[in-house]
Amino acid sequence: MTEPILRVDSLAKSFGGVRAVRDLSFTVSAGEILGLIGPNGSGKSTTVNVLSGVFPPTSGSIILAGEPIEGLPEAQRVGRGLSRTFQTARVFPEFTVRQHVAMGCHAIRQVNPFASILPFGSWRREQADIDSQVDEVLRLCALHPVADRPVASLSSGQQRFLMIATALAAQPRILLVDEPAAGLVEHERQELAELIRGIRQRGIAVVIIEHHMALIMALCDRIVVLNFGAKIAEGSPAEIRANPAVIDAYLGEAA
Amino acid sequence: MNRILALLPWLLALALLAVLPQVLTVKYYLHLSILALIWVIVAQGQNLIQGFTGYVSIVQAGFMGIGAYGSTLMGLNFQWPLWATMIMAPLITALFALATGYPSLRVKGHYFAIVTLAFNLIIVIVLVNYSELTKGEAGISNIPKPWGGNREAFYYLALVLAASLTLLAALIARSRVGEILLAIRQNEDLVAALGIAAWKYKLFAFVISAMYAGLGGALYAHFQGFINPEIFGVAQSLDAILAVILGGSGTIAGPAIGAFLVVFLPELLRFADSFRLILYGLILVLATIFMPIGIVGIAKAAFARIIRREVRHGG
Repeated sequence: MTEPILRVDSLAKSFGGVRAVRDLSFTVSAGEILGLIGPNGSGKSTTVNVLSGVFPPTSGSIILAGEPIEGLPEAQRVGRGLSRTFQTARVFPEFTVRQHVAMGCHAIRQVNPFASILPFGSWRREQADIDSQVDEVLRLCALHPVADRPVASLSSGQQRFLMIATALAAQPRILLVDEPAAGLVEHERQELAELIRGIRQRGIAVVIIEHHMALIMALCDRIVVLNFGAKIAEGSPAEIRANPAVIDAYLGEAA
Repeated sequence: MNRILALLPWLLALALLAVLPQVLTVKYYLHLSILALIWVIVAQGQNLIQGFTGYVSIVQAGFMGIGAYGSTLMGLNFQWPLWATMIMAPLITALFALATGYPSLRVKGHYFAIVTLAFNLIIVIVLVNYSELTKGEAGISNIPKPWGGNREAFYYLALVLAASLTLLAALIARSRVGEILLAIRQNEDLVAALGIAAWKYKLFAFVISAMYAGLGGALYAHFQGFINPEIFGVAQSLDAILAVILGGSGTIAGPAIGAFLVVFLPELLRFADSFRLILYGLILVLATIFMPIGIVGIAKAAFARIIRREVRHGG
């Protein structure tokens, strides 16, 4: 068994008296897709926000590739290899798609961006490097036909793919996607599933939060179920579907 | 080809400004033109933080004051040469901006505006009350002028500085840093989530904007030969904001055009006599309501419309 990319150990987050996440532990390995499901308010988004560094955890540890990151600010975690997308579309509407994805490359570049104010020598090479990296990500996410369009002109579905593309530009080791299928139509959901499988094939670990059960069951290698901020089950999609506690708390009889 | 075409209006404007002193018969207009060029520098700085980064700073005139008093007092007390104190002025202003920017850039939107406004008020209060050093409200007169007060020479100094600092602003705007500033304006939360430490870039924009203002203030002091605290009050900070909005926020030509407007408009309205400032205020209010994208924004939109029409007729 290889060392997991991400190890979450006894993670807890309270807001005042509200314990949004408590005693949560799980691991994710390279090339694995982990589903994080549970009813509304069960602490899924809080978990993503604590992992990505929007809030510090109340207690517990987050180990990324063997190193603790729970004390690092949000921006530095991206440089260490942890990227995320948001539940609602968060984009730079005035940029072109290409510019937008290039913003994602920033975290892993070595050349100081202030060098680009006088754009000679080293920055020229840097720019060429960024361009080829952006092209690769655009192709992976099937956004290359709209590469030069302004972001504001994209459909909301395309904007969701753009968020994933921009996060991928930082070459993460683990990607957290928060409800990527919200508002997508059926054929877009198929494309999303394809994209996430493609990301996994590159050896990137994926943690996906999603309410669309068919998508989760089809995609995930493993599923963690939260209820009231605590883990109530973990296992393969088949195990989760048959788990009485999960059926009771979330899936209901119909599932 | 497109690049040269885009540069053409700039070269024309520069050529026009270069011959201006030769064609201006009324010396007062030369005086106003120099003030306008100084305001171009201040407005370009304001545009970096307001137009590109999306943080409306209301302390630019206060920073001008720091540059003006800094240069004047160093010359007065240390007998440093005028050129040395003028070069030091933006550096001193940068130190103040670093100290004030770090805490104030933690808050966003209106809060940032109010914090910077408070800084401007504090700067004026200190200038008024620390009178052993600043001579208080009476101000400092007989500030040395370069070239023995030759106006034409000063005009060219201001023109060269305004042009180079406009060029620098353009270089910053089209660089990676400029792109990050634009990203901060559009969605700061997303910038952080992409692994970019936004505070570094905000502080950079704020400090550079302060350096522009500090240099503008020093130029002002050595041009007018007289300064007092009132000149560097909040009202003048609002002028810097207006120059950016009127001309076109987030563009490079906008602040330059806007700076000339805020200097010349009140003068051109002199025919209205005592209603002058009321009329000026009215124009400003109407302009901000009906043309929030500024003159440059309107010109761009009109230009795009013409091109579209020609394409349609041609095809």
